[in-house]
Amino acid sequence: MVLVSNQVVREDWRKAKSLVAEMLTKHEGSIKTLRRYEERRLAYPIKGNLRATYYLTYFEMPGANVPALRRDMELSESVLRNLVLAVDAVPEEEIAQAALEEDADYTVPEPPADDEPDVEEVSETEDEDIEDEEEVLVGDGDDL
Amino acid sequence: MYNSSNNKKERAAIATKNCDDPVINYKNLDYLEKFLTPQGQILSRRRTGFCTQCQKQLKKAIKNARHLALLPFVN
Repeated sequence: MVLVSNQVVREDWRKAKSLVAEMLTKHEGSIKTLRRYEERRLAYPIKGNLRATYYLTYFEMPGANVPALRRDMELSESVLRNLVLAVDAVPEEEIAQAALEEDADYTVPEPPADDEPDVEEVSETEDEDIEDEEEVLVGDGDDL
Repeated sequence: MYNSSNNKKERAAIATKNCDDPVINYKNLDYLEKFLTPQGQILSRRRTGFCTQCQKQLKKAIKNARHLALLPFVN
């Protein structure tokens, strides 16, 4: 999994995807799947970024090339974090989801600003407001 | 010193899991968050109810998620 800065993703999310792909192919990696996993608020700020986009990829690569790949990613300013793990097989769900993204019509929403709250956070606060309104209405009814 | 308390609250495990289930994964955040304190610390094996292997998997998954800023180090 690779964490890419939203500044790059805002320009073009496919360009950000190709940036990750280039890094892998540079080190003799053969990509099985590569897709945009999620755009979300980070648990803690990284290099001043409060939000970023995760790219999930499954690839094959000679083990000797992995340290060089990690070093390349760490030196890159666009890549905030990377995690390379060994897996036995590519999950079938992952192949299906990556295939969806290959479609030319597939689009993703532009990443929101860093200080914008998550969709879940907004809906929670709206629910609280609605509950408050209901309480007020009940109070009015009792008075009458 | 080992606390041999009979207090059920202390001994109550959060989750029972079949060791073959691949649910302990750094991407499965809703599941991992159950095994963190409000401060973001990993719960002990006594609280999680995991076997040694599963607790090690949990530790690894949470630490991977922390590295990717999916989970906080400290709340």
